[in-house]
Amino acid sequence: MTKDHGGDVRLSGISKTYGSFAAVHPLDLTVPEGSFFALLGASGCGKTTTLRMIAGLEEPSSGTVSLGEQDVTRLPPHKRPVNTVFQSYALFPHLDIFENVAFGLRRRGIRSVTKQVDEMLDLVQLGEQARKKPHQLSGGQQQRVAVARALINRPKVLLLDEPLGALDLKLRRQMQLELKRIQTEVGITFVHVTHDQEEAMTMADTVAVMNAGRVEQLGSPTDLYENPRTTFVANFLGTSNLIEAEVDSKSGGAIVLKAGDGKLSLPEARCSAPATTGGRVLVGVRPEKISLTHADDAGDVPVGRNRITGKITATSFIGVSTQYVVDSSVCPEFAVYVQNIDRDPRLVPGADVVLHWSPAHTFGLDAAQSLLAGTAGSAGVETVEEEAAVR
Amino acid sequence: MALLRWTKRHLVVIAGLLTLGYLLLPNIVVTVFSFNEPKGRFNYEWQTFSTDAWTDPCGVAGLCGSLSISLQLAAWATLGATVLGTMIAFALVRYRFRARGAVNSLIFLPMAMPEVVMAASLLTLFLNLGAQLGFWTILIAHIMFCLSFVVVAVKARVMSMDPRLEEAARDLYAGPVQTFVRVTLPIAAPGIAAGALLAFALSFDDFIITNFTAGSTVTFPMFVWGSAQRGTPVQINVIGTAMFVVAVLFVLAGMVVGGRRKRQKP
Amino acid sequence: MTTLTEAEAPPPPAPVTPTRKPPRGRGRLVPYWLLLPGILWLLVFFALPMIYQASTSVQTGSLEEGYKVTWHFATYWHALSEYWPQFLRSVLYAGSATVLCLLLGYPLAYLIAFRAGRWRNLILILVIAPFFTSFLIRTLAWKTILADGGPVVGALNSLHVLDVTGWLGITAGDRVLATPLAVVCGLTYNFLPFMILPLYTSLERIDGRLHEAAGDLYATPFTTFRKVTFPLSMPGVVSGTLLTFIPASGDYVNADLLGSADTRMVGNVIQTQFLRILDYPTAAALSFLLMAAILIMVTLYIRKSGTEDLV
Repeated sequence: MTKDHGGDVRLSGISKTYGSFAAVHPLDLTVPEGSFFALLGASGCGKTTTLRMIAGLEEPSSGTVSLGEQDVTRLPPHKRPVNTVFQSYALFPHLDIFENVAFGLRRRGIRSVTKQVDEMLDLVQLGEQARKKPHQLSGGQQQRVAVARALINRPKVLLLDEPLGALDLKLRRQMQLELKRIQTEVGITFVHVTHDQEEAMTMADTVAVMNAGRVEQLGSPTDLYENPRTTFVANFLGTSNLIEAEVDSKSGGAIVLKAGDGKLSLPEARCSAPATTGGRVLVGVRPEKISLTHADDAGDVPVGRNRITGKITATSFIGVSTQYVVDSSVCPEFAVYVQNIDRDPRLVPGADVVLHWSPAHTFGLDAAQSLLAGTAGSAGVETVEEEAAVR
Repeated sequence: MALLRWTKRHLVVIAGLLTLGYLLLPNIVVTVFSFNEPKGRFNYEWQTFSTDAWTDPCGVAGLCGSLSISLQLAAWATLGATVLGTMIAFALVRYRFRARGAVNSLIFLPMAMPEVVMAASLLTLFLNLGAQLGFWTILIAHIMFCLSFVVVAVKARVMSMDPRLEEAARDLYAGPVQTFVRVTLPIAAPGIAAGALLAFALSFDDFIITNFTAGSTVTFPMFVWGSAQRGTPVQINVIGTAMFVVAVLFVLAGMVVGGRRKRQKP
Repeated sequence: MTTLTEAEAPPPPAPVTPTRKPPRGRGRLVPYWLLLPGILWLLVFFALPMIYQASTSVQTGSLEEGYKVTWHFATYWHALSEYWPQFLRSVLYAGSATVLCLLLGYPLAYLIAFRAGRWRNLILILVIAPFFTSFLIRTLAWKTILADGGPVVGALNSLHVLDVTGWLGITAGDRVLATPLAVVCGLTYNFLPFMILPLYTSLERIDGRLHEAAGDLYATPFTTFRKVTFPLSMPGVVSGTLLTFIPASGDYVNADLLGSADTRMVGNVIQTQFLRILDYPTAAALSFLLMAAILIMVTLYIRKSGTEDLV
């Protein structure tokens, strides 16, 4: 039995320029049929433009868009078997919920739409609201109407442009699961654009992290989180502590690095940068992988672990964990998340501590890039502004 | 003391209501005097109560004829100005093109020009072209000065329209024509309606430009103007009152229907 | 009517998505086709007449023999020297009416925007509805209201108001009708809604919380008005004053119906010259002068009020 690949989305060499500004650099991407694919990036990184080129709302400056075997680059949006869930939904204010959902069917000349629309409204649990106008619904309900209005057309690909951006946190969590459920149920390819890394990781099978019009890294959420290959990905997905270090020697699949006056070990397989002796590498470790021991108990730290000494400058109690900021000679703001199992009362600001972690949790990055790429303070990450624009 | 404080707190309300009274006083006078039975030719002094004028509103020669001409003119002027103005408004909001500044100025200037200037210059044109003054020259003039107001009203509405609604329509298999008919037009409709209503009112009530371009055609305002010189029949008060009442009822009915529709589906 | 269009359009609302690309090929012409009929109409019936008028103003000749362009600029000099009192009167009357409209209209606009509650729509309707009774009929009603020996004149007389206004030269003896006061009163009345509606539109946009914030920051109600409300309503004040002053300065109906030979405004002169005396060059010159005066004043005013983008 051969599988129909009609739901594959293939972008080949696709780019978009506005005057001299390149919104999307030539880009190749294949989204396999039936997958939940996320385009993740800060506002202005080109993710929405990419999505709009798939929808046909934006004409690419170069390259082609294919659905399965069909080249749709020149097709206008109303002739593409693709539907979009728009940012802030774009529900037609003059039509009721039923007519909003029926819109696509009617435009394709389908006469009896009642049964299909009712079924679709039941799927998104809005059967009761069919005759209301969009403004009478809550944000979450409007969001579900937008999904129903797109899905009812059985598109080969469903495009979601920041579909949850206008919802509050709790509702967003709920809708993430809901969308995931619907996707599993209908089995259609979903391409989801978001700036929320947690949302992308929760929902998608594959995530493409975009930055400045380029795909920085593509992979499964776990892969991206555990093995980031650029500082942008390391910082944009969760938090990373990055230390500049010098390659001291290599032995048995491990690289030994000099950072300050200490030594760190890094598995060669987890280093994405060329590591030549004497060269520089960025060493990264996630905050939750680190253990914190008071300097008085430094002798208890097991041998073979990477260790750094420092002084606690701030702590905050989060509930499930306590977050510490540690000032060390190699990195002024080392973040450490410790689960609240046995809290050491001596770990207060001003305390001298030893940070230590397993070398297996260390990753190495090319030192020739900004340490701060993808952090909240750096240019390009404007989550707050973007959310403000949505309202 | 308490009275003084009360007055101070409600100063704005009192002043506002006084202004409202000033605005409505002439209408009250017009209404009251529609029941007058004047002695001379002019209806400026109260004599005795009578409903004669109300039972015979067309009893004055030429009055209802002029009213009918005014209504026809207003209807055609509204149609013309609304169609042309809506097209311009869409072009201004939705497209980039050369000479945008010049187009904007051309729209703005008729509104920043005293009517008498437009009237005089238009008459100069008609005289130079040897045009026959009458219904058509009035209509041309009315469409001209209503156009800008329609553009402003429609533009405001189209500008506040989310362009993603049209994208959503195109995404949902509506071609360009379908998108316009099913989405753009219905959403822009309140702006277009406001523009049309404005055009109707402006055209129906225009005197200055009409006076210059009418030739021997007599519209309702021109009839009133003429009667102000020769003698004012009570019937013009009847028409004025009726128009006022119909307008208020029309709007109130619209509000009641709108309010009920909102309440129907909570 | 509530807002004048802007000479330069502001950019469309902040585009969340990139703005529409210019369409290719045939689509590029769409805006021109949309503009064509309306713009053509305005060019032929608004701009072209202005040119004809300018040319008429420098013609000489007579009705019987026809007119020729002789670049006779003396017509302008003649018109100005002959009719400068009417010009001056137009500016004075229209200016007074505009100030009165602002003073009377602001409280009502404020009332509708902030204090009317559920009466808001009703009051708005009452402001607009008089439009539907022909303004000529309503202006004639002022003849009744201000009639000699009527209650209004009687009250003003017994309060000695007429003594003061008589001393100022805007009324004469026991009469209000046929005096400058009556004309200004009629102008104010006729153009008041054109002041109230733009004022209301700009006041209504003000976030009520700003008043609370100002009060919270130790501003008295009056300071709040002076420092917060009034500055924020400036767009409405500017377009309201323009919408009042421009038509009022060219009006001749009020001066004709409520005034006398001594209250004639420039509009009356243009009307008479054009429609009765048939001295087309003088009428055209006067009309051209009025247009130029208005355009210069409006431009200066807009510059000065610093709200160029608003009108």
